[in-house]
Amino acid sequence: MQLIQMAINIGIGIGQDKDTLQAAREALRLAKSNLHAEKIDLAIVFSSVEFSQQNILKLISDTLGETPVAGCSSFALISKQGIFKYGIMVALLSLPEGVYLSTAFIKEIGSKSVTLAGEELGEKLLYGFKDIRRDLSLIFSDGLMHDAAGFLWGLQEKLGKSFPLAGASASDNLAFKKTYQYYANEVFSDGACGILWGGKLNFGLGLKHGWRPLGKPRYVTKACGNLVNEIDGAPAATIYEEYLAADLVKLRRELKHISIFYPIGIFLPGEEEYLLRNILSIEDNGALVFQGNVPQASMIRLMIGTKESCLEATRQAAIEAKNGLLGKPSNFVLVFNSVSRYILLGRQVNKELEAIKEIFGKEIPIIGIYTYGEQAPLKAINFQGIAHLHNQSIEILAIGG
Amino acid sequence: MLGDEGIINLLGAASLLVIIFLVIALIQKMEKIKTLQDAVNKLQKFLDEMDEQAKLIVRIDMELNKTQEELNKKISGLYALQRLSREISTTLEENQIFKRIDADYLNDMGFEKSCGFLWNAGEKKFLLKVNIGYSPDETKSIESALDMNGEKYSELINLIRNEKTTSSISLSDSAQKARLKQLFGVESFIFSPLLPKEGDKGLLFVGTKNTETIINEGDEELITILSNQLGQALENARLFEKTWHAQQSLENKVEERTRDLTNALKEVKIINKRKTDFISSVSHELRTPLTSIKGYASILLSEKLGAVAPDIKERLDKINRHSDELVHMVNELLDIARIESGRMSMNKQRLNLKEIVEKASDLLSMQLKERNIDFSLSIPNDAKAVLADRGQIERVFINIIGNAIKFTPEKGKISVNAHKAQTGIEVDISDSGCGIPAEAQEAIFEEFYRVDNPINQVAKGTGLGLALVKHIIEAHGGKIWVKSKLDAGSTFSFILPET
Repeated sequence: MQLIQMAINIGIGIGQDKDTLQAAREALRLAKSNLHAEKIDLAIVFSSVEFSQQNILKLISDTLGETPVAGCSSFALISKQGIFKYGIMVALLSLPEGVYLSTAFIKEIGSKSVTLAGEELGEKLLYGFKDIRRDLSLIFSDGLMHDAAGFLWGLQEKLGKSFPLAGASASDNLAFKKTYQYYANEVFSDGACGILWGGKLNFGLGLKHGWRPLGKPRYVTKACGNLVNEIDGAPAATIYEEYLAADLVKLRRELKHISIFYPIGIFLPGEEEYLLRNILSIEDNGALVFQGNVPQASMIRLMIGTKESCLEATRQAAIEAKNGLLGKPSNFVLVFNSVSRYILLGRQVNKELEAIKEIFGKEIPIIGIYTYGEQAPLKAINFQGIAHLHNQSIEILAIGG
Repeated sequence: MLGDEGIINLLGAASLLVIIFLVIALIQKMEKIKTLQDAVNKLQKFLDEMDEQAKLIVRIDMELNKTQEELNKKISGLYALQRLSREISTTLEENQIFKRIDADYLNDMGFEKSCGFLWNAGEKKFLLKVNIGYSPDETKSIESALDMNGEKYSELINLIRNEKTTSSISLSDSAQKARLKQLFGVESFIFSPLLPKEGDKGLLFVGTKNTETIINEGDEELITILSNQLGQALENARLFEKTWHAQQSLENKVEERTRDLTNALKEVKIINKRKTDFISSVSHELRTPLTSIKGYASILLSEKLGAVAPDIKERLDKINRHSDELVHMVNELLDIARIESGRMSMNKQRLNLKEIVEKASDLLSMQLKERNIDFSLSIPNDAKAVLADRGQIERVFINIIGNAIKFTPEKGKISVNAHKAQTGIEVDISDSGCGIPAEAQEAIFEEFYRVDNPINQVAKGTGLGLALVKHIIEAHGGKIWVKSKLDAGSTFSFILPET
């Protein structure tokens, strides 16, 4: 008698051999042995950048044949066993009857309009998904994309503005030089790949950061996209010069540090937390380039985070994701965690993982990566569930079949 | 009824009232605005004060974060150093030591690139033993740059000579710094010498491309500790290798020498056997004609064949006597040959040592008396019983005591003492004779050796007595030796098995 599969099955494997092919082979072998199903419907692949990315994908897609493969590179891997700065992670998924998915990718976004690129990916994902109820889209995009908000906008134009979207901006080894996206047997940068889920998928999404506002509110007086020229009528960098008692040279020198520890928070009416923005660079005229768009006239604050507030946010995000399942059990948890949190938490980085396991149970399968940006809807009603680009946040997606 | 004027007056009064009211209201409003403005100003002041406090908080927080980061880096570095030290100390193979430096350990110490070199002072060449974080092409270019320009990078050699760690923060020469940065493709670096006491010294390089990494004295100390550990490990490995080689060479030498000695011994045995066989056959061949000579001489002396003239008789006596001596010598030679060849078996039995010595002294009593020699015997009860061949052991005593009598002047002393030794019963036969020169003390036990002294020049002897004694004692599993001093007497000692 054939047993009917009732839930999503997942098998996760991690390979850490120095040889790329050995590591990929090991990850695949473990994933297969942990997957208690014969049918494989999807492979999600994450890897640190030290490996030959092309060889990983070639081996996996050659082995899995027609099975869709999607994923991206990351600064570190998150699993139930721990956080690994070096390794290849393969998650094989077997879907129950009634749960469907569609995958697609887009390359060379820089050579076209980002909004149009988003729309193109949205269209590709929708292709062949006509009479099926859409539940969720999962996007892995280049973490160094300049107008991630524009891309997201285009994507939602096609998938639906209020349609749930969870996304991760791929990272590298903090060099901020090149990130990789994977699709089938292809490896590319300046692109994105996505998975559109539909049918009877249950999921819960939680996103928090834990940074708190500090100092008096300020207003963006001149901005365009992710470039903020003036805050309170003065060059944007003045805010950092004043708070940190540092000139532009010093700010530039310690930019990575400042950007992680003291991002800008955009006040969003109705939202529990401010929307964070990391600084990417400081222009000579004192303008600040942020990782996401900062609307003109928005009220902003300087933000500060502590390890405790960060860990509490992780707990809250996990609870929110669990609550989203409305009491149904989760099959696995997907974590997109900002690299900034890794740096802020330092030696306590494993405590985030412990917090997630505390909420979902010690045996819950976990796959996750560290990201240069997270995409998720805002919760306040006035934002109508439209997905935004977040920085410094932990995004927890609990999936139940 | 009010007239027009009255109405006008009334309206005027009302207007006045309204104006007064409005003025009062305006004054009140203005006071309220002023109060509100004061409140706003106050709030603004508080806000500004709080903002100032926030600035302080941010600055302190930033310092704290930096300190925390530094501390984390130090802890990770120390932890990595501890693990790496443990790895290094577990190997005694020089090449393996460098291979233990792993990218993970290096990362934990805050670096992603490393090279380990040994400096061959003879060939003036750097040998790359390990490289981490470099592609094969990059490695080749570093190797060839150092190989081609050994002198150009003399600062590296000087680091080894001066036994000094240096880094991108402590190196003052900016040109040198830039050259090293370019060669190793890093922004920050540390070089630390590897200083084993023996053999080639070397250099450990670690570096990072990360422009934000700021190397400090703590990093220098950490890498110095690591290079010291590496230097010590290299020294241990080399000492181990040296000791191992020395042991191997010694073992080979011992084996070779043992083989030589075994071969020599085999040859000696063959020669000895040939000698024994020769002596044996010659002795046998001699005995037959000697018997005839002695027989004929005896017949002639007995005058059975007619009277013999006195001068002929005298010569026949000599022939007879010399024949006896020759027979005696031949017999002794035959006995030695028999013992050597193992053909003579010792009929070992429990004997009373005292009886044997007394019998020997009885046999020699005439000579003892003639020379007025004081003979004493001391054999305690626990040294009385020996396991020996009666006939042979009697020959031993007769020979040694006989020799002692021969070389002891009149009124001298001869004593026989015995005591229990570790390996049997030790017998010491001492005399107050002329003694044996040191150089002859070993040779006297060889066949036909006779000490060159006045007594031997007149006294007769075959030079076989002590050789026979030695063979007999050794055939009993014992050993014999002599202690002597010229003009102070000699002591012959031997060991016999106890029962």
